[in-house]
Amino acid sequence: MIRFLLSSLLILTLFSCGPKIIKGLEVPVSKQNIGSPYFSDLSKDYVYKAKLDIYGNYFGGILIVKKISEVKHRVVFTTEFGSKIFDFLYDGDTFTKNFILPDLDRKIVVNTLEKDFRILITEKTDVVSQYQNSEYDVFETANSDGGNLFSENVESKQLYSIANAPNGRIKILITFNDVEENIAKKININHNNIKLSIALEYLKK
Amino acid sequence: MSKVLLMVFIFVSSVTFSQETAMNASEIESFKAMVVKASQEANTIKSDFIQYKHLDFLDNDIETFGALQFKAPGLVKWEYTKPYEYSVIFKDEQLLINDGGTKNAIDIGSSKMFKKLNQLIVNSVKGDMFSDDDFNVTYFKTRNSSKAVFVPKDSKMLEYIASFELLFDTTDGAVTQVKMIEPSQDYTKIVFSNRKINTPIDDSVFTQ
Repeated sequence: MIRFLLSSLLILTLFSCGPKIIKGLEVPVSKQNIGSPYFSDLSKDYVYKAKLDIYGNYFGGILIVKKISEVKHRVVFTTEFGSKIFDFLYDGDTFTKNFILPDLDRKIVVNTLEKDFRILITEKTDVVSQYQNSEYDVFETANSDGGNLFSENVESKQLYSIANAPNGRIKILITFNDVEENIAKKININHNNIKLSIALEYLKK
Repeated sequence: MSKVLLMVFIFVSSVTFSQETAMNASEIESFKAMVVKASQEANTIKSDFIQYKHLDFLDNDIETFGALQFKAPGLVKWEYTKPYEYSVIFKDEQLLINDGGTKNAIDIGSSKMFKKLNQLIVNSVKGDMFSDDDFNVTYFKTRNSSKAVFVPKDSKMLEYIASFELLFDTTDGAVTQVKMIEPSQDYTKIVFSNRKINTPIDDSVFTQ
């Protein structure tokens, strides 16, 4: 299974394109920074049942995210039986791979996972421009990957999605659903340039 | 005051340490014989369990509830029921996984590692891991239970698992707890309850 995941990730179709993102009309910037608020509480253990679909092959596990200081997050993925698949530490801009199964320890796998989870946990990025369409206020941030677009529901002001969209085409789309008390009960991460999707469902205590 | 505290500490420590002592050679022999006998007599085992995943950075262990069914010689169904539904059946040369309705079968016929894993699971459920050449085993006793600590000999395996600890009921040799300790000292602890031996289990339990 792990070997398949690896070979699937290696068949990275660099030239495929995702759908175009609809930003809406440009409006004046109303806030300096934006980010994901859903992993920002130091007192919470964020535990999710995870389902991964990679090129039609499927496997599951448990994703654990914990903010351990103002600038640090641990992101750990285990099997249902509890054995670790990977264990990452994000300390500001520094990334440390505490552990990953040797079969998965390939640059493309680690980079893909590192980037996905960094988007999920980053709480503040500078806003460079802002748009509005009928449903969302869209905030564009600048980063080395061509910028992310944060869509907030116009009425609830709740963050609904983050899209990594270099050149206006969506490469990675993360959506947050069933938000209660600042916890996103359902999170979906979809890649458009590789057939990888991750569905997360919050586990109640 | 500090002297008093030190005395209290030494007293508490000695009491704590004295609760677990190493078995002597004859105790090991009779303990092993009891467990092997209990294991051989168990044609079926049903048990509930609670799994505790301990990660040093979390405020609380992650608790998962489930049930286990075993039928000799080698059928195992390991099922989580709360807070999510997930089951694995170890059958013949296959792992049959049902993850909340998503079903998956993995052929393990060609994988030595999975065969080893399967054997380990069956043997740890039954408690009979003592003849396994892959581990160095040490034995301890406490007032209410016996403990066997299995340390892998293989350096590759040691990268994943520092040790297995199995706790046994001293009266009937049944496994009451399994703890898998990682090199980082994070661990997974499984505590069994409502254990039933030799109640009929239909083969259909082990199908998807």
